[in-house]
Amino acid sequence: MTRFAETIGDAIVAAVRAVRDLWLVYVGTVAGLVRKSRVPHRGEVARQLYAIGNRSLVFVIVTLGFIGMVMTYEACLQLSRVVGDYTQVGPQYLRLVISDFAPTLTALMLATRVGAGIAAEIGSMKVTEQIDALRMSGVLPIDYLIVPRFVASVIMTLVLSTVGGAVMYAAGGLTAQYSFGVNPNNFYGLQFVRPRHVVMMIVKALSYGAAIPVVAGFCGLRARGSSEGVGWATTAAVIGSSFAVIVLDFVISAAALFVTGGDL
Amino acid sequence: MRQAVANVGAGALRVAEEVGGIVILTGQTLRALVPPRVDTRELVKNLYKMGNRSVPIVVLTAFFAGGLMTLQTGPFVKKLGATALAGWGAGYAVLREIGPILIALMFSGRVGANNTAELATMTVTEQLDGLRALAIDPVRFLVVPRVLAMMVMLVALTVIGDLVALTGASVVGHAMLDIEWSTMFHSFADNLRPYDFLHGVYKSIAFGAAIAMSSCYFGVTVRGGAVGVGRAVNAAVVAAAVSIMLLDFFLTYLTG
Repeated sequence: MTRFAETIGDAIVAAVRAVRDLWLVYVGTVAGLVRKSRVPHRGEVARQLYAIGNRSLVFVIVTLGFIGMVMTYEACLQLSRVVGDYTQVGPQYLRLVISDFAPTLTALMLATRVGAGIAAEIGSMKVTEQIDALRMSGVLPIDYLIVPRFVASVIMTLVLSTVGGAVMYAAGGLTAQYSFGVNPNNFYGLQFVRPRHVVMMIVKALSYGAAIPVVAGFCGLRARGSSEGVGWATTAAVIGSSFAVIVLDFVISAAALFVTGGDL
Repeated sequence: MRQAVANVGAGALRVAEEVGGIVILTGQTLRALVPPRVDTRELVKNLYKMGNRSVPIVVLTAFFAGGLMTLQTGPFVKKLGATALAGWGAGYAVLREIGPILIALMFSGRVGANNTAELATMTVTEQLDGLRALAIDPVRFLVVPRVLAMMVMLVALTVIGDLVALTGASVVGHAMLDIEWSTMFHSFADNLRPYDFLHGVYKSIAFGAAIAMSSCYFGVTVRGGAVGVGRAVNAAVVAAAVSIMLLDFFLTYLTG
């Protein structure tokens, strides 16, 4: 009984500590962003923009393209059983793509690719004591390592969400046209999209873009031991940043529902 | 220009090498299964570590995913005054697509990445060579139990996750959109067919195999210390994510 209580207590203490440390990394990142003079030169941000954005482009296009085809296929299949009227599929699909699927699925893909990459890189630096060397040289590791990735990830998540959404929509349109004979004139329509859906997409993409590097960087900085520690850190980063995306999606969607009074 | 062509070619060659390596490892795994002698202790250990310990994260993810589906479809359904259809949209999306895919992605992050890290650490510390020196086949001893455990447990977790996601959909529908529990239940019961559920389960078998093979492949082929381990884990989760999406597409077309 005592041991059981101890186990639970340990878990709670560890969780509270982790949340506090994560919060400190976040505050450190924002503080580093505000003190512009301490941010490393622009070349580093540009390099991260390339590493996070351009290098993920093919990955995002392939995955979102395929999932876009699947989603339209499933939606049309279901409609063919129930109503048999495809005129609303495209515009409704576009509404969902903009307000939810494009930013969330792109961010989930980036959480695996970029989150794991950041944690592996920073974790390797941690276990080879390069982080300690940075600290000894009077450089804050967060300013030097996480801030450029944070800036790059916020920008690139929005950009890639836009690209991914367009690919998803186009792939869905082609599937609907060739598998179910839906007229493209009916599929490509903007009548259900409201400005608030676009605002939601931007808010979601920016929040995910901010969450991924902070969670992944936090996991990387916590790496201990040698190669095993790096592996653990990378695993934790993938899980943590994917879960952060899902929870943020839920919170933002619920808040939007509340703000718009149920008329999403 | 020549540089760009060279880069594309190098990328294609790398992808081909990885796919080929995964296929070869799959072949070796299948061959090791022909007289089905599996190390039972290793199998049970992996089943527990990969399945039981993943339940919390899968339950949380599935709950939020189900709630999200109601949040996305609910307002539209309410506007049309057809709350009886709320469970149709949410349930159909959860059982056939969102449930299996999200659970597989989380599984790949937790179990697949972890497995790559473990195997990669063993590889860089030359434990695999040690096994070979003792005339123990690493594929038979390490890879086969892990592959079996992942395939079994992803299916089990998908079944649990589907149930939790439908619960999440009902809770969110009740709390945020004032849809009665009974309305939601009848909406599920009337509009969802057993095949919708099975369709998701079939997919999760394939996803489990893909996650297992890619994570084991990148684990046993790692090179270069701690940096290499991080890179291997990264490559494994990316490969798993791509193969989940591709398999999802082909399975949806093939099995309708």
